[in-house]
Amino acid sequence: MSKPDVHGPWYRRGIDLLRLMSIVLMWLFLGGVITWMVNVVRVSHSLGDALTVSVGVSVVAVAVYTLVAAVLTYVFFGLQRGRGGPEK
Amino acid sequence: MPRWGMVIDLDRCTGCGACVAACKVENNVQFVSAAESERGRRMHWLRLLVESTGTYPEAEIRIVPNLCVMCDNPPCTKVCPVHATYLGEDRLVAQIYPRCIGCRYCMAACPYSVKVFNWSDPRWSAETRSILNPDVSLRPKGVVEKCTFCHHRLQAAKEVARADQRPLREADYQPACVQICPADAMTFGDLDDEFSPVSQLRRSARAMRPQEHLGTEPKVYYLQRRDAHV
Amino acid sequence: MRTFEPSATSDPALFRSIDHTTTKFYVTVGVLAAIVLFAVFMYVRQVVLGLGVTGMMQPVTWGFYIVNFVFFIGISHAGTLISAILRITQAEWRRPITRMAEVITAIVLAIGGLHPILDLGRPERVMNVFLFGRLQSPLLWDVTSISAYFAASTVYLYLPLIPDIALLRDRSRRLRWFYDFLSWGWQGTPRQWKVLSRAINIMMIVVVPVAVSVHTIISYIFAMTLQSGWHSTIFGPYFVVGAIFSGIAALFVTMIAFRSAFRLEAYLKLIHFQQLAKLLLAMSMLWTYFTFCEYLTGFYGGEPEELKSILYKVTGQYAPLFWLMVACNFFIPLVLLGFRRFRTIPGILIASIGVLVGMWLERLIIVVPTLENPRMPFPSGIYVPSLTEISLFAGALALFALSFLGFAKLFPIVSVWEIQEGRALAKVEMEERIQSYLPDEQAGHVQA
Repeated sequence: MSKPDVHGPWYRRGIDLLRLMSIVLMWLFLGGVITWMVNVVRVSHSLGDALTVSVGVSVVAVAVYTLVAAVLTYVFFGLQRGRGGPEK
Repeated sequence: MPRWGMVIDLDRCTGCGACVAACKVENNVQFVSAAESERGRRMHWLRLLVESTGTYPEAEIRIVPNLCVMCDNPPCTKVCPVHATYLGEDRLVAQIYPRCIGCRYCMAACPYSVKVFNWSDPRWSAETRSILNPDVSLRPKGVVEKCTFCHHRLQAAKEVARADQRPLREADYQPACVQICPADAMTFGDLDDEFSPVSQLRRSARAMRPQEHLGTEPKVYYLQRRDAHV
Repeated sequence: MRTFEPSATSDPALFRSIDHTTTKFYVTVGVLAAIVLFAVFMYVRQVVLGLGVTGMMQPVTWGFYIVNFVFFIGISHAGTLISAILRITQAEWRRPITRMAEVITAIVLAIGGLHPILDLGRPERVMNVFLFGRLQSPLLWDVTSISAYFAASTVYLYLPLIPDIALLRDRSRRLRWFYDFLSWGWQGTPRQWKVLSRAINIMMIVVVPVAVSVHTIISYIFAMTLQSGWHSTIFGPYFVVGAIFSGIAALFVTMIAFRSAFRLEAYLKLIHFQQLAKLLLAMSMLWTYFTFCEYLTGFYGGEPEELKSILYKVTGQYAPLFWLMVACNFFIPLVLLGFRRFRTIPGILIASIGVLVGMWLERLIIVVPTLENPRMPFPSGIYVPSLTEISLFAGALALFALSFLGFAKLFPIVSVWEIQEGRALAKVEMEERIQSYLPDEQAGHVQA
């Protein structure tokens, strides 16, 4: 049930832009998580309140998020590069 | 820096409740309706707990004033997610009302059940509004509060001492409950000063601290006959 | 690796949920949406009037919201953990199940993660957690681990979805742009398959420790306090086991519901249910073992505070609920899943609903009785949930069903390419694998 593909000239560009925005959004989210963790570590340092725990938990959390972001980025660029031909 | 502590003599306490009333008035603690009170929502920073042991005719009742025991190792501050309850520089466990998100974790963690929650917005009648203490902030619904050892009185005493250019003396400050107790059951002062009345009383053979085995290091001591326990 | 061509035409039944929208669907969505809207209204009312509209009081300051929080996050384990573990162990019967499991996790994590916010006295201050958060608090560990798990499981749902999205892109006219964008340029070339399988392999391994950490950390909310009945070292593993247990039950209910709603009997066959039922039975035994350990240790030691809490649950006020929980979590699964003649789809449905009820009761029995028995001689009461809490619970369940239906409208709820991969390649791969397990040709002829 495939339809003839009559799309405007901006269709392909629009889709590519949406895709790029999705991966950028993910990086921004990762940046947000890192900012939050750094802020929380700074707060604990200024209050003198269990700094080692804060650093420990933040390191693990940021590591997990970075790993997930890395996998998504790998897939994004891997799929782009692995294309057989131009998309319809 | 004095380490403020309290000694309550349970053998002197008559259970009159003057301390409860004084605390409520001094600290602008919310009055709830009778219906809400029945549902377990009444708010006391200091309340009288009734502990009964044994059965008739050997039944015994013990009345225990229950207030924040100002732990030196507080289990409540450990778990607050936003640092709204914390151990302040006066070694008093303090509460930051504007920061509290109302998660009530500190309430679940406190083994002494001393924290209270504002289940609804306070409604002050004309009479109660007229007796509000201007030194103590009003709390909105959704935040946790508890006894502060009348910290506002400590602030005032510090300011007076600073103005008089002298150090703060132990006798300059005492919480409302201690001040009003007609049976002289409550003593307040500096636990680090070995000659102060609190320090002497806490070394008495009748002295004990509630739930001491939990390692919370409370700064409120109870005096009672050896055979009784809280 | 050997590749194959997924086709959009050989399994039309799997696209039925996307193509056909029946009246039954609209009616169901309407009813669910009404329940959710009512719940939203009750929540707004709670924000305006304060938490006094709930049944909570001193000393029971945590009630339905926290119970449901633990319950929903617990269910999330089914999904990703089951899907990941079945993938890691290369269990072939996983193929029709993995998609539903992954979707359950994503939805239920979002709903569960919302519950602590529903419970807050000042929800508008939730940003304080990010501005002033103390990582020493188990609640912060919770925020961190649940959001990390949500991120990981969403990615773990999305990656295996990509080839199916590409199928939808190629066959649809409406929403074509949506599928095109989401497919990220998938064309099924060998290089793309390599990238995708490597990524899925990484995620299926990453997701397991993250999932285990999530429910362990939720248990720490209770275990890290000094309250009797909570301060127990077994809580970490106990909660994880309970989570997987309730998760599998939720997966079963979902599978059975969608199997009959979309007539997927050809794909979700009795054998799939029976295989998964063995896992549910195993988890039931494991849960019973942990529960037995917990209560026997406390009872035998006889430490007064601990004993008071245990007796309150086992013989006191909570005895009816406690023994109902044991019946639902142990006796019913033992009979219905242990004996082959009861291990039918209706039997499994009854057992799963029983487990869900029993596990919800377990959360209730963990949270509330400890609070109803404070250490100090505090005048306590019995916690009775109010209409607000019940409607928010109903709303959460309705939101779960609604989201699942929404997903089913947009994407296939059984993984099309994995089924087709199984059809095309699994037999040969399995033969090779079994051959590798069997002794080598020369093994019997060493002393020739």
